[in-house]
Amino acid sequence: MTKSQKKILVLDDEPIVCERLKPALEKRGFYVETFVHSQDAIDRISQQKFDVLVTDLKMRKPDGLDVMDYVRQHSPSTKVVIVTGFATVDTATKALKSGAVDFIAKPFRISQLRDLILKITSDNDD
Amino acid sequence: MKSLNERHLRFRDLIDKNNQMLELMAEAEEMLSGEFIFDMQYLKTLATQLASASRAVVYDLNAIADNRYQELVKAVDEIEDKVRATIEAKTVIPRSELVIPLSKITGDSTEIVGEKTARLGELSRRKMCRVPDGFAVSAFAFQQVLQCIAEQDEMKKWLALTHDDEETRVDEASSWLQLRTRKVRIPDKLARAIRDAALKLQKRNPNCLLALRSSALGEDGTLSFAGQYKTLLGITPERVIPAYIEVLASVFASGAMKYRRTNRLPPAGGAMAVGCLTLINARAAGVLYTLDPNQPQRNVMVVTASYGLGITVVEGTDETDQFAVSRKYPYDVLSSSLGRKHRQYVANDEQGLRREKVEQDRSDLPAINQDELKELCETSLRIERFMKCAQDIEWAFDQQGQLFILQTRPLRLLDERNESSGRTTEQIGAENTILMQSRGEVACRGVAHGRVVLVDDTTDLTRLPDDAVLVARYSKPALSEALAEAKAVITDIGTATGHLATLARELRVPAILDTEIATQVLKDGQEVTVDAEENVVYLGLVQDLIHNHLLKSSTYEDKPEFRLLRKMLRMVTPLHFKDPQSPDFNPANCSTYHDVIRFAHEKAVERLTRGYSIQTDSDQRSAYHLDLPIPLDLVVIDLDGGPERDARRSSVGLDQVTSRPLACLLEGLCAEGVWNSDPADMDLSGFMASATRSFALTGPAANAPQPNLAIVNTCYLNLNLKLGYHFNIVDCYLSEKRNDNFIYFRFAGGVTEMTRRNRRAEILQRILETNDFVVDRKEDLVIGRIKKISAETMHERLQMVGRLIGFTRQLDIFLRDDSLIKPYVNGFINGKYHPSQFNEAGPLQRGNQMNQSGRVMVLDDEEIVCERLKTYLEKQNYQVETFTVSQQAMERLQQEKFDVVVTDLKMKAPNGLEILRFIRSQDQGTQVVMITGYATMEALREAEYTDVVEFICKPFQMDTIGSAVKKAAKKAKKFKKRAEIEG
Repeated sequence: MTKSQKKILVLDDEPIVCERLKPALEKRGFYVETFVHSQDAIDRISQQKFDVLVTDLKMRKPDGLDVMDYVRQHSPSTKVVIVTGFATVDTATKALKSGAVDFIAKPFRISQLRDLILKITSDNDD
Repeated sequence: MKSLNERHLRFRDLIDKNNQMLELMAEAEEMLSGEFIFDMQYLKTLATQLASASRAVVYDLNAIADNRYQELVKAVDEIEDKVRATIEAKTVIPRSELVIPLSKITGDSTEIVGEKTARLGELSRRKMCRVPDGFAVSAFAFQQVLQCIAEQDEMKKWLALTHDDEETRVDEASSWLQLRTRKVRIPDKLARAIRDAALKLQKRNPNCLLALRSSALGEDGTLSFAGQYKTLLGITPERVIPAYIEVLASVFASGAMKYRRTNRLPPAGGAMAVGCLTLINARAAGVLYTLDPNQPQRNVMVVTASYGLGITVVEGTDETDQFAVSRKYPYDVLSSSLGRKHRQYVANDEQGLRREKVEQDRSDLPAINQDELKELCETSLRIERFMKCAQDIEWAFDQQGQLFILQTRPLRLLDERNESSGRTTEQIGAENTILMQSRGEVACRGVAHGRVVLVDDTTDLTRLPDDAVLVARYSKPALSEALAEAKAVITDIGTATGHLATLARELRVPAILDTEIATQVLKDGQEVTVDAEENVVYLGLVQDLIHNHLLKSSTYEDKPEFRLLRKMLRMVTPLHFKDPQSPDFNPANCSTYHDVIRFAHEKAVERLTRGYSIQTDSDQRSAYHLDLPIPLDLVVIDLDGGPERDARRSSVGLDQVTSRPLACLLEGLCAEGVWNSDPADMDLSGFMASATRSFALTGPAANAPQPNLAIVNTCYLNLNLKLGYHFNIVDCYLSEKRNDNFIYFRFAGGVTEMTRRNRRAEILQRILETNDFVVDRKEDLVIGRIKKISAETMHERLQMVGRLIGFTRQLDIFLRDDSLIKPYVNGFINGKYHPSQFNEAGPLQRGNQMNQSGRVMVLDDEEIVCERLKTYLEKQNYQVETFTVSQQAMERLQQEKFDVVVTDLKMKAPNGLEILRFIRSQDQGTQVVMITGYATMEALREAEYTDVVEFICKPFQMDTIGSAVKKAAKKAKKFKKRAEIEG
């Protein structure tokens, strides 16, 4: 991890999401850590500041909304992107109210998330 | 009998659900490109959606057809059960045969026979290399064996250990489980199956010995399990059972169990399949790494070789030969060190393996010669290309000098820090020349390096160089055949759901389709690196990119979710009957959802149209005759109710047609010169009357004569035409949602003898293929399909179909010999429909003239810019005039009308904006493309100059201008057309 690298944390209980996002984002110069257990992710966030958190919503407790709550309190500058397969209007509203920057429904194009992250991390610089 | 209106409602719903199904299938198919992130949840949801949409289609059909097709309900049930079982089998060992011959094993057999054997089966099936003959004993068999252990309760306790349990408990479990496995008496049925398979193997390979290799589920997958399990070599067929048990027991070896525990897996949770192959009695053998694991950045392969079997190399008990070989043809040896090879293992059919002395005069010679080394390297790189990551390969040359691949797996690096050069796409982009970027769609992810082969009609695809990157205008069938040998494929036109895309994914060839400009941007023979992940094509070799790609530990295609999706789609998407007239077209033969909906749709249309007559239709408004400028009697059934009109009239004018697809098709059909009413018709009428031929082949005429019928709504058209003696069906959907759009075209029959009809069919095939249809042809039956294209493209294609229907109506009569096929195809493409014109000299040149893409004026005060644009645009068939002085350009604009003006903004007065204002004051048709600096561009875009087609920022790429001009020319053409109609 170099100083200039933007740090991304990816949390999804399905390993394939982590395994595929990591190399795709690294290729664009991001530093990426991935987690399949949400508690492990929370522990990590308590030690290390991330620029972006990419998280699933529906997981065993603590779920995505719990992780977002934690992030809002302990690392407010971290921007949150939700990726979820259960994209109901209800959950979307809830997530956006809890401070998510954006909401992407699974399945999604890798480039869609990549471009979103590129955009929100460059906004950071302003 | 239901009222017609109710049937129409049901039919409308059927079309909607049918589309929903096609869309779901197309989307799922596209997931295989690797471009998307999807998970298990998606697969489960997909399965549910597919089942419920299919059910709805079947329900609608039965409502329309008075419950005649109850059998289809059963078909859907069966498919749903199969799909569900597949998804649920993910976590458990699937039921399977106990013993499976290698020839029946594919890359997707991993849950049955383990990764290692599945990979070998796939490579052999794909003819990537020669592998030993043999069979696999499945993981299901392993499970059967465990059930024979007497103390089941105690066994379950040990199997249930978790990674949180103490290491001493793991040791205890290991010795208990190994002991019981070794002592077990395996089921008779299994023993018999293994012995039979071994005997058959021996019959095919007299005196052979066997190699039993562990092939555990998950071995060599995400975790390597390197060296944890047993491999037994030199087993006589009589000893195959005890050897099998010995390999099984190694799943519980203490090392393997601890390895699982460290990786947070249940320590006793392994499942062992076993590969049982003939032992290659090698003259020389060894290991090849496709990259140097110590220095992956060096572009070399590392080969280790010894005499006899490869054990010497694997064990490291004797000196060996080492070669560092270039990865580039002709695979030069960059360095070598020859060991003094004292001993070798040989297979002896009596006693199994024997270690013997190497004769002294041979021990210092290389174990394999130059030619063998080359063959080995070539084969290994082929395997690497297919596996999409660097490989660790065990190989052997037998006594006859034949190369066998014994095992292959992803290469593990010695130093993890080497894993990636860490260069990002931005850095690579800054250091290399980008030829093309973000054009079209990635149809199969991957990275490749090679030389461009521009494919046209003259390209000999059977003689491709070994590093061909195929670049073609269309995805023509010949391309598909050459794909297996290609490094990558790029096309101007195509879709990620088309035939070529599917094939590329199957063969794992990186593919970028629908780029529009590849054939113009990429040059024949050019060395390129294709990044079909970030969608970039670089000039030359981009070493970092290739390395990063090869150093991945596995490829997305081998992830369990991808395997599962492929397996699922095999039960969903294949369409087994393409021709509704065939006798196999019945519910019992519907083995996939696609079959089901195809069948249902066909039968629903049949039910609505059979014996249809406007007089018996109770709902007068929804059915009407269409007034056409050509002599065609067409009845339209409008599912939306039909246009308002005078109740006494049963006919409707062209302008009242509300169905978009019908309007598009008629636009083509009624275009000038398309409907051929040549005087030849007169002579032919006699010929037609005397023609006696049966309709057996083409079917529906057996029923009472029907009118030409179109069932429509705003987005949908089903057209049944019986023109003379052939049948033409067009079924299509046109909306703004690209995923919903499709055209199905079917054509069969004719009045002439079979050879002429075949010629016409070939013309149809070629024209449809040029327009990117996927075409099936059997004699005079042509079926073409295209899907997922934009509304705009749909419009073009439907117009083309309309023209095609008119053009080919009586074409067979003129097709005296094969040599006429090509001129007719070219004629049609160039807008020449009248057959008599083809006998004149040079219709092609004239056609070319007609096909002029448009008149373009280029205005820039720099001579060089003008020149470059002129050359570039002329290549694309534009007629181009250039000006460096804007005053002269203005004068010219007063004399002559141009379709497109490309102008610089900053010039000596009059400047670009003044030119624009002048053009607008003259006429609205001419379109403007403006070249500016970046800041100005942003400002202008915001301002009122919205009628500028495109602002292009300096410095620009040729293809940016190219596509802007294309867009502008199209817009200009539309204006022209509108002006003609209004004027």
